[in-house]
Amino acid sequence: VTAVAVTLTPVRQAPSPPVASRTARGLGERLAPYAYIAPFFVLFAVFGLFPLAFTFYVALFDWNPIGDHVFIGADNFTRMLADARFWNAARNTVSIWFLSTVPQLAFALVLAHVLNHARLRFALFFRMSVLVPYVTSVAATAIVFAQLFDRDYGLLNWLLGLVGVAPIDFVQSTVGSQVLIATMVTWRWFGYTTLLYLASLQAVPREVFEAAAIDGASSWQRFRHITIPSLRPVIVFTVVTSTIGGLQIFTEPLLIASGSRLTCGTVRQCQTLTLFLYEQGFGQFEFGYGAAIGVALFAMVVVIAAVNYLLAGRIRADR
Amino acid sequence: VTFRLPPLLAVAALVLAAACTPGTGGGGGGDGKSFEFWSFSGINQKVSADAYRAKHPDVEVKLTEVGGSTETAQALTTALAGGKVPDLVLIQGDNLPKFVEQPQNFVDLRTLGADGMKGDYLDWVMKQSLAKGGEVLGIPTDVGGMAVAYRTDLFAAAQLPTDPEAVSALWPTWDAFIETGKRYKQATGKAFLDNAATSVFYQAVNQVSEKYYSDAREVVYDRNPQVRAAFDLGIKAATSGITAGQTSFEAPWSAGLAQGAYAAVAAPSWMLNTIRSTAPDTKGKWNIAKIPGGAGNWGGSYLAIPKRAQNPQAAWNYIKEMQSPQGQLEHFARAGALPSTPSVYQDDKLASLKDPFFSDARTGKIYTDSLLGLKPFYIGPDSATIGQEFLNAVINVEQSGGDPATAWDDAVRNIKTAIGK
Repeated sequence: VTAVAVTLTPVRQAPSPPVASRTARGLGERLAPYAYIAPFFVLFAVFGLFPLAFTFYVALFDWNPIGDHVFIGADNFTRMLADARFWNAARNTVSIWFLSTVPQLAFALVLAHVLNHARLRFALFFRMSVLVPYVTSVAATAIVFAQLFDRDYGLLNWLLGLVGVAPIDFVQSTVGSQVLIATMVTWRWFGYTTLLYLASLQAVPREVFEAAAIDGASSWQRFRHITIPSLRPVIVFTVVTSTIGGLQIFTEPLLIASGSRLTCGTVRQCQTLTLFLYEQGFGQFEFGYGAAIGVALFAMVVVIAAVNYLLAGRIRADR
Repeated sequence: VTFRLPPLLAVAALVLAAACTPGTGGGGGGDGKSFEFWSFSGINQKVSADAYRAKHPDVEVKLTEVGGSTETAQALTTALAGGKVPDLVLIQGDNLPKFVEQPQNFVDLRTLGADGMKGDYLDWVMKQSLAKGGEVLGIPTDVGGMAVAYRTDLFAAAQLPTDPEAVSALWPTWDAFIETGKRYKQATGKAFLDNAATSVFYQAVNQVSEKYYSDAREVVYDRNPQVRAAFDLGIKAATSGITAGQTSFEAPWSAGLAQGAYAAVAAPSWMLNTIRSTAPDTKGKWNIAKIPGGAGNWGGSYLAIPKRAQNPQAAWNYIKEMQSPQGQLEHFARAGALPSTPSVYQDDKLASLKDPFFSDARTGKIYTDSLLGLKPFYIGPDSATIGQEFLNAVINVEQSGGDPATAWDDAVRNIKTAIGK
């Protein structure tokens, strides 16, 4: 989806060819615009399109990067569909996505509603500070959170210990590790989502809110009947982008599980699809199998993008 | 935000393109004497490289510590597949078989004169770097041997003996070792051992006469009673409550080592260096006892030269000088890794060396003794994966409350999924 957006944008921005070119100005003039936009497309072809196509090709092989490349047809895909590790990773990806997206969007909605309040002082300060987690490097976030949640030396378990709770090993348990990852994702993205909602809310005339208040609508009623309906298109948009983002969660699970990073724990309790791809491709060096997992991920993103397209179309039709 | 993406992407791509331009920065230049050397961290190849530099001022050794041993092997695989390769690379024994299976990626060291040196090394160690056609792909730099490092102060506090002879006598077998752990735990309430996975299972499984493959090179991990026995020992230790449940080499493990969170750790010769650098304040509080269960080996590495190396001769000169029996003996005195050249085992320099960090333990003698009567086994291309899955199964019982009763079957099933047999 990003690829499509990326390709189309410059075309829209490119200058339209001059009308007079047919006569004296000649060939060079007609080709110039294409030359201007060429660098992007050349780079995109080299770093975007070619790897994409090549992945489909490699997926058909038993591909040892330092040895033989044996054509095996669809064997990688049949193996993948029968591989419990693949389905485990798919399950983990979905549950981490759910655990991170639902609180994130709900939290962002409420926060945007509050930040949009007419009488809020220092509004600009609050609006900017929600974006701070978003600009923090994801690796730094992951390392700090892993330390906070550590079994023996973590701040959270120390606090729990003060009230008599036994230390929880977040990383080694399925629920704990996924909650930890979801917390990091939520922390990182809620500010960005809040700003999207806020921007969209500000397009709603303030009089609507004021009229409702005068008519005696409570804050909750205004939230329920004005904020949410007016944000519907952008909510759909954020659900879709966070779904695609959720399919690509990689750094957080890679960095939290000590000792068995590529599997995110000894029983793959928080291994996501992208991490499984990386483990097979660059840990086991089964390039063919890793590529097949990549193709499966690609297919999932295409399906989600198609759903997005249909939904967006219906919302436009509704209005 | 979407509109900002294309220029950013383009810039990133440009930077990438510039960084990937081939032909720049040739390893060690073209003088044929200098070379680029990839090693892994924690093994202290730096002291060897420095010593070599001191003897040959005109040679530049560009040493890079890529990461852990596994990361180094991964980086090497990527480089061999289509990047810039180093002239010399250190490969840990567990990672070696996958490279030996593809000998076309490396210089056959016989072409540089390895035939004359082959006989200097322990036969079973040398064999592991020979390819099917007899190509010599790597020269062994060290072997691990096996021992247990323990804290004399913590043992004394638990009313256990502290003298290495007496401590070794506490645990002729692994069962006796676990019993000692229970005594320690009872006396102090603290963990005895860092973990069951590496300090018990991984040791015991390396004391066998046949491991994951038979001598006929068939996969037998699931029906080899020796592997099963080692695994059961690991599970027994994991469920006995004597371990700290800390995964080896990770940050909490290091913290525990420095703070005395556990009193004993399985320590092959190269581990001494790890303990020294991880917990420098514990100097003099350690001693070294015999490993339970008899002879065995954990670890050991090889030096290899990739086929596309730009300065193979310079790299070979380094191997020839630093990995000769005398060179390895000097490295042992400097860094503590046990030589793979048996001719120096009787040398007084090795036999009489005392390590002050470990209460003057006679490390040379302890580790060479642990190799006596060792029965070599074949290590195959999937040995590392099989070993990792077994380790994971023990860790799962030890740290995540996995069911010990199903641990073996789960591990075997996971291995079958991973390697397909």
